[in-house]
Amino acid sequence: MPSPTEKFYLTEEGLKKLKKEYEELQKIAQMKVREKIPEIFHSEELNPEYLAYREDNELLQARLADLKYILKNTELIKTPPKEKQNIVNLGAHVTIETEGQIDEFEIIGSLEANPSLGKISNECPVGRTLLGHRVGDMVVVQSGMKTVYKILKIKYK
Amino acid sequence: MENLIKFFIEIGRLKRMPRRGWVINRIKNPESIAEHIFRATVMTWILGEKKKLNREKLLKMILIHDLCEVYAGDITPYDKILPKNKKKLAKLMRTWPRFSNKEKEKTAREKYKKEWQSLMKLTETLPPKLKKEIRNLWLEFKKGLTKEARFAYQADRMENLLQALEYWKRYRRPPLMPWWWWAREFFHDPLLVEFMGALDKKFLKKKKKSK
Repeated sequence: MPSPTEKFYLTEEGLKKLKKEYEELQKIAQMKVREKIPEIFHSEELNPEYLAYREDNELLQARLADLKYILKNTELIKTPPKEKQNIVNLGAHVTIETEGQIDEFEIIGSLEANPSLGKISNECPVGRTLLGHRVGDMVVVQSGMKTVYKILKIKYK
Repeated sequence: MENLIKFFIEIGRLKRMPRRGWVINRIKNPESIAEHIFRATVMTWILGEKKKLNREKLLKMILIHDLCEVYAGDITPYDKILPKNKKKLAKLMRTWPRFSNKEKEKTAREKYKKEWQSLMKLTETLPPKLKKEIRNLWLEFKKGLTKEARFAYQADRMENLLQALEYWKRYRRPPLMPWWWWAREFFHDPLLVEFMGALDKKFLKKKKKSK
C-alpha cells in the first residue's frame, strides 16, 4: 500500500465520480457473490472496464481496495476565497506563455492529472513551481533545461 | 496452439516497426517498438521495486502495453500537423505542439479508440482466459485503475525520455527542449521526478545551452 501519509487531492467532480464508481463496484461484487449478473452488464453501451470487472475478480477487488484507500485519504480541492484567487493554487486554470507559445493548465492532484488533456499534477515540476505565483510573474522551471513561464491568467471554476 | 503461433507471429511485427517519433526526427536506425518495450519492462521492474507493488501484474502490464500498436501503429502528438517541407518539419520538431483542450480531448479519444480496436483484433483468436487477461491488463494500464497501472504508465514514458537523451547525445537530435517541456508536465511520481533530475545531471549538466 502507499505510504500512510499519502493524500489524494481531488476535485469535487473527481470525488463524485470515484464515489459513484466505488458504489457501483460494490454492487457488482455483491451480485457476483450471489452469482447474479448485474443488470448493468446487459447494456450494449457498456464500458469495457465494467466487462473487465465482471470477468476478472482480482481486478475488481484490486480496484475496490484502491478506491477505498483513496476515498479514505482524500482531500477535496476547494476554490479559494475571492481575495486569494489571483494566486495559483490547486484547482486553478492557469494560462501561461513559454517560448512564444500559449497554453492552459488545470492544476490538480496526481490522481486526476492527465497532461494530454491539459490537467497537470501539483507534484510535477511545472505544477509545483507555478503554485503560489500570481498573474504577471515570470516563473523559472529548473528541472531539465531552464525555461521561463509567464503567467497570463488565473481562473477558478 | 495454432492461435498462439499466429499471435506470436503478429506481435513479432513490433520487432520490425520503428518508433515513429524517431523516424520523424530522422534518427538513423531508430529503435523498434519491441526494443522500447524491452527496456521499459526492465526499468519498470527495477524502479518499481521501491514502490511495493504487485510485481507480476506490473511486469505483465508493461509487456503488453504497446501490443495494440501492431495494427494501430505508433501515434505521436505531431501526426496531425506534420508538414511535408523538410525545413518546416525541422522547425516543428523544435517545438512541443500545444493544442486547445478540446483538440487534446478529441485526439486522446481517437487514439484510445484506435488502439482498443487494434488490441481486440490482435487478441480475438486467443484462448478466452488469456484474451481476457491481456485486454483487462491493457484497460487497467490505460485507465490507471490501480497503483501498478499508474506507476507503469509513467515508467514507460521515462524510457522514452532516456532514449531521447541518448539519441540527442549521439546525433544532436531530437531537439531536447520539447522533451523537457513535456516531461516536466508529465512526470509526477516522486521517484520518477527524482530519476528525471538524475537524468538531467547525467546528460545536461555541461550542455545547458544546447537545444
